[in-house]
Amino acid sequence: MEEKQKGMWPLVEKYYQDYGSRARELKKDGIKFMGYICSFVPVEIIRAAGFVPFRIRGNVHEPITKGNTQLETIACPFMRSCFDLSFKGHYDFCEGVIIPHACDSMTRSYSVWKYSLGLPYSHFVNVPHTVNAASLQFFEAELNTFRKSLGRYAGKEINTAEIAQAITAYNQLRKKVKALYELRKTNPPLVSGTEMAKLLTVTAGLPVEEANLLCDQALDQLPQRTAPSDKKFPRILIDGACIDNIDLVQLVEESGASVVADDLCLGMRDFWPTTDVDQDPLKALSRRYLEKLNCPRTFRQSPGGSLSDDLQARFGDMGAHIKEFGVDGIIIYVYKYCDPFGFEVSARKAYLSSLGVSILYLEDEYSAGTIGRLRTRIQAFLEMMG
Amino acid sequence: MSVYAAGIDIGSAFSKGVIFKNKQTLGFCCIPSGGDYRATAEKIKKELLSKTGLSSPAPIFTVATGLGAKMVGFADVIRTELSCHARGIITIFPSVRTVVDIGDSYSRALRIDEHGHLLKFLLSGKCAGGSARILKKIAKILQVKLEELGPLSLRSQKQVDFNTNCAVFAESEAVSRIAEGASKEDLLAGIHRALAAQVNNLAERVGIEKDYALVGGGAKDEGLVKAVELMNGFNLVVPSEPLLTAALGAAILAEEMAPA
Repeated sequence: MEEKQKGMWPLVEKYYQDYGSRARELKKDGIKFMGYICSFVPVEIIRAAGFVPFRIRGNVHEPITKGNTQLETIACPFMRSCFDLSFKGHYDFCEGVIIPHACDSMTRSYSVWKYSLGLPYSHFVNVPHTVNAASLQFFEAELNTFRKSLGRYAGKEINTAEIAQAITAYNQLRKKVKALYELRKTNPPLVSGTEMAKLLTVTAGLPVEEANLLCDQALDQLPQRTAPSDKKFPRILIDGACIDNIDLVQLVEESGASVVADDLCLGMRDFWPTTDVDQDPLKALSRRYLEKLNCPRTFRQSPGGSLSDDLQARFGDMGAHIKEFGVDGIIIYVYKYCDPFGFEVSARKAYLSSLGVSILYLEDEYSAGTIGRLRTRIQAFLEMMG
Repeated sequence: MSVYAAGIDIGSAFSKGVIFKNKQTLGFCCIPSGGDYRATAEKIKKELLSKTGLSSPAPIFTVATGLGAKMVGFADVIRTELSCHARGIITIFPSVRTVVDIGDSYSRALRIDEHGHLLKFLLSGKCAGGSARILKKIAKILQVKLEELGPLSLRSQKQVDFNTNCAVFAESEAVSRIAEGASKEDLLAGIHRALAAQVNNLAERVGIEKDYALVGGGAKDEGLVKAVELMNGFNLVVPSEPLLTAALGAAILAEEMAPA
């Protein structure tokens, strides 16, 4: 009975602790994996080509060693950790690696990935930095180039129906994740931020069908939970880039808060926008990734002329989530040398202050050791809110 | 009968304690933290008890704070040093709105309201850069006592340019300046100015609102206080026992939290 109550969590734990273990199992059955980094790679096209898209993850507990022989420490520590693990062979079940034109650290290191790893396939997806008719047209053509390139490698032509099918599967996953987030709206939430972070990290390394299944099981099981206690903790939203380790979320929750929402790549940023199904799949994908995926790497021009119009255009979605999830405080968490987020910190602070929520800004490296040192700041932030 | 309230602040260099009852400080102590924080906390407790003049152990409600707060085995509540500093300083100087604590491992800038509630805070980086650690290192290099640093610095005729923010690299920069013939006085004045810039950088980022107080070990160094004052163009306030602010704040919180 107890095992049944645990449901899929032991499996999530296993996949989280040994990320890539399921891929290694499936590879034995002839299933092919294609590595990628960042939310800007259209996984639907990889899937349509017959590969399982595998999101390359870093590890805050593993010191970056070999990776530093190819990348200097001015490069983003998250990306360096991802590269370090790849270079050490942790993800050698992947046949290739796909890097998007997301931030400078990724763009400038593409050749390092390509030549150091020496994988059979690699591709650079040129994502424009602005959103307008011309850039959307360009991006659609670029996605077509990617489709052809990957098709050549796969030895097949990737047809529209296959892309449409993959779009449906990933839209389902995103809708399920959204339904799981509903369970975080209660006070206290039915699912902890730590559990969600684990689950979402794990889904990025699985075939979409298996990810969908895990979410289905979570959706079956979680609503039957009774809240662990009546105790209500401050409700926190974490805002930042890609957090693919639970350590920060866990530290915040251990300090006496509930992480109920986020603005993160392995979170609401990526799982909220779905792809439209009523138009040409490549056009729809270009819109999803360029127009809907809201990351500071994409420059958004303000429709109005004032600063508040500008902030609303850039961060309005986060503002809506703050209301929807009853958020009391925001932790802005930025990796050292992260240009896209780093430049935006003051704008984000200005927008969030105008909403009247408490803000804590943390700059960090990508390592468990430095996360621990943030404890005092997080505790003081919670004391300040309390 | 109300209980005694104690605030224990275990820092990386010194551990401090204040015992409190009916809003009055009955006694305090400050000892080096050493390598066993549990034992240090017990030692402070014993010393504080002796200051109450009680012959037998009395019930004490304790709030622990600081880096080693978790090691205070008898603590009833733990609060961060930021909240404790805020409460401590407002009790000593009700007019203070900006505080920088220049500690051994960090410097911390705080903005507080008239009730001593924390509005904003910022800690220096993850390393000891910007903390008072550099002063200990320099004292060692110059073979002078910590309390001599301030008076020497104030006698400087021509401070040297000192650029390094890192406490470790600062040591080699100091040695280079000595090799170039800089006097102790001028070298110290240069270091104080460099550290003052870091202290002020933190304060500017939380927003300076008068009165502006310096606390912590660094505030005992009048050369550093003067350097921060010169940078701002106005006088700062410094408590007579700047190391004790967080312990005092913890004791005040303890008295408020203690069951009646």
